[in-house]
Amino acid sequence: MQDYIAVAAQRQRDAVRHHTDPAVARLLEDRLRARLEQYEAVDPRTVQDRLDALEREWDTDRTLELDAAAWGIVGVALGALHRRGWLILPMFAAAAMLAHALTGRHPVMPVLRRLGVRTSREIARERYALKALRGDFTRLDAPAVDRAAKAREVPW
Amino acid sequence: MVNLAASFAPTTLRVERHTDRYWNELNGLRIEARLVRMKDAQRVEIDERLAELDREWDIERALGANAGTIALASAALGYAVDRRFLLLTTLVFAFLANHALYGWCPPVPVMRRLGVRTMREIERERYALKALRGDFSAVPPAGWAAGHDRVRAVLAAVDA
Repeated sequence: MQDYIAVAAQRQRDAVRHHTDPAVARLLEDRLRARLEQYEAVDPRTVQDRLDALEREWDTDRTLELDAAAWGIVGVALGALHRRGWLILPMFAAAAMLAHALTGRHPVMPVLRRLGVRTSREIARERYALKALRGDFTRLDAPAVDRAAKAREVPW
Repeated sequence: MVNLAASFAPTTLRVERHTDRYWNELNGLRIEARLVRMKDAQRVEIDERLAELDREWDIERALGANAGTIALASAALGYAVDRRFLLLTTLVFAFLANHALYGWCPPVPVMRRLGVRTMREIERERYALKALRGDFSAVPPAGWAAGHDRVRAVLAAVDA
């Protein structure tokens, strides 16, 4: 199970997921499975509500952007008005943001992951799994000619 | 807290809502054109394209690198050279907050014109390609198998 999660993260090159504590990754995966089983046989409208909720869910990138902006603005204000040494705070926030973009590691990320914040790829994974359960992909087993046409019709 | 966060624009749609329709549609058409090209493609070609998508930088990542660089440089200059550089730092962080909440900051229109895509667009292409490759054909239709077996089949398809 653990290996399966690690391999999936690596194969998907989801750096954040890859750097997540295995115990937390497993917890998220178990919750996902439980949710999918819960939505496996419900009516399409309930599934649609869930799909819409997933579009609204705050992912790791969005949460980190707001977090970095908050630390950065507070730090600059303190640095300008109080003591210059406070400027270490915005510098650290900016450097962490840059490191996150380049490597997928961020000092705040372990906390966010424990709180259950997911990457955009994990959220998309749940969305498309739900869509597959709903049967959005079942009509694709046609001759190759209209398979492309059908694949294009996959609703967003 | 969750409800407060949900009262802002949907995470996956907020950038596209602040992009001229032309560029959104262009990205959609490019995906469709590629799918039509791929419809008779060898499996290897689809595999290669999926690997490319894994490496593609989405707009959030590009913005993070951009904002991080400018804010770090301007804060360092504000510390070492002239305090007025801190105005730039403040501006970058303020726009970053605006981007997180509403989906717009100054680099967004530029990046969209350069073809930087949102994760939603990238994932749409990915799963359409996976469907074309036949990843979902092993998923039993609703009612044809036990619930947990369908879930297992679906996750195997999604991670294939």
